[in-house]
Amino acid sequence: MSKFIVRIMILPACALFVFSACAVRTPSAGGKASAPVITEYTPNISTQEYEKRYQAVYGKFTEQMAAEGNPADFVVDDGKDLFSKVQGSAGKSCASCHGANGEKLKGVAAMYPKYDPAIKGIDTVALQINRCRKDHMGAPELKYESDPQLALELYVKSLSNGVPIHVSIDGPAKPFYEAGKEYYYKRFGQFNFSCALCHVKYAGHMIRANLLSNNRHHTDHFPTYRLDWSGVGSLQKRFRGCNKNVRQEPLPFQSETYRNLELYLTYQGNGVPIQVPGFRM
Amino acid sequence: MASVGKIKIRVPNTIKKGDVIPVQVLVSHPMETGMRKNKDGSVIPAYYINDVDVFYGNDKITHCDWTIAVSANPFITFYVKADKAAPIKIVYKDIKGGVYEQAVQISPQ
Amino acid sequence: MKQKEKGPALTRRAFIKSTGAACAMLFVAGSLPSLVRPAAAAPNEKNINDVLKKQFGNKNVSMSHVDIKAPIIAENGAVVPITITSDLPMRSDDYVKKINVYAEGNLEPYVAGIDLTPANGKAEFAMRIKMRKTSNVRVVLETSKGQLYGAAKAVKVTVGGCGG
Repeated sequence: MSKFIVRIMILPACALFVFSACAVRTPSAGGKASAPVITEYTPNISTQEYEKRYQAVYGKFTEQMAAEGNPADFVVDDGKDLFSKVQGSAGKSCASCHGANGEKLKGVAAMYPKYDPAIKGIDTVALQINRCRKDHMGAPELKYESDPQLALELYVKSLSNGVPIHVSIDGPAKPFYEAGKEYYYKRFGQFNFSCALCHVKYAGHMIRANLLSNNRHHTDHFPTYRLDWSGVGSLQKRFRGCNKNVRQEPLPFQSETYRNLELYLTYQGNGVPIQVPGFRM
Repeated sequence: MASVGKIKIRVPNTIKKGDVIPVQVLVSHPMETGMRKNKDGSVIPAYYINDVDVFYGNDKITHCDWTIAVSANPFITFYVKADKAAPIKIVYKDIKGGVYEQAVQISPQ
Repeated sequence: MKQKEKGPALTRRAFIKSTGAACAMLFVAGSLPSLVRPAAAAPNEKNINDVLKKQFGNKNVSMSHVDIKAPIIAENGAVVPITITSDLPMRSDDYVKKINVYAEGNLEPYVAGIDLTPANGKAEFAMRIKMRKTSNVRVVLETSKGQLYGAAKAVKVTVGGCGG
């Protein structure tokens, strides 16, 4: 009888072993000598097949709801007001330097994140806004994910709507891109997942009721209105959400790792036009 | 989220006299049910829009009676027979006494 | 010693037996909670039939002339977009007076009541509602002549895997 029970217990274990053995990694096209060698995944399904599945699961549902009425439009209006509001000791507003309607910022957000020698690292739109406030306006930095911070970031990004993303990873930005990539392929959390496992290898498969998205369109619509949040949130809030989902301690907003990751992820979407505010599930 | 009670109304750009036109209205409101809890465990008090009136000129053409089961940042689409040049006005009232209203002028050709 | 040698090798039959037993055990374990607590109904949940009866008495609701557009699967029960359309006339002597919207699985099924007038020109209305769980969305239309028309549509409310 005991043998019988042992056999019962072995069976699921065998199944698990077979399953994990199937998940063989595909060798990379070319590894870098400096950074640790990352074995890149090839997607299980083609882009066309992914688009087909996306249409089957979601259809035009979110696009239609966004076209009808995106609550984040109110936040953009708030950001516009904030943009021309004089704050800080220098008696300036964002509009004092960048033009009344942000003319001089049109298309600029499409180049972010980018390397900035002043901070010897990657600069994001949110970080740049706070640096501007501190250095040029003498105003207090805005708390990340607070209403005014998101409003301003959303407005500045909305000035680049329709402009294809073109971030550069050449020269000094290269090591930061590699660091971002390393994080993207690193397994962590109690579930031992990596970003790439879900969003490269298994993109297009279902994870419970969700379709795993591929990383091509991950950055073009942030900050976005998300039904799940019932509000607006930034890309780095989504990073934190993903980290929590795999039972990994999330990192602080605008930490170096997240900024590198944002560079890596945004580069994957190079050529996709910016479309903020987005509207997602 | 943005402040409470901001309204956006959308109507077609060109309207012919006698057309039945769609009017889309979005309002920012938390629509709290009174069933959710804060992180510290205290109940968030109910706070929702329970009464909506739509006026076309001086006539009240639509009235809505809402409960907590209407989503946050309520969005509605209704139809109006555009037979006169007059403003369409929408008035929201919530259970804490807040009144939010906005109008849009309709001028059928 | 002899006993040990006689011990069953993993024959096909034995394999099927043990797998079957394992599956059965899993099945029983999986279904047990639902046997213990059948359809965890909240104590203050109202039955849709009682609600309708209270509002309309014993009047007959004709299930025609009304169409509900709603997603088959709603990934977030807090925002379910629905569109109610009807081909009933909107004349000054005969029009749709009121649209009543219900979500059957909600603790309070009554969601909204919308009073229309002939000035609307068309009995159509779209809104976004909250649904507590998978259930029917039900609509009852009252006409100015006192007739009732209705429709119901099932919406699956799922809990996504990636709500971060």
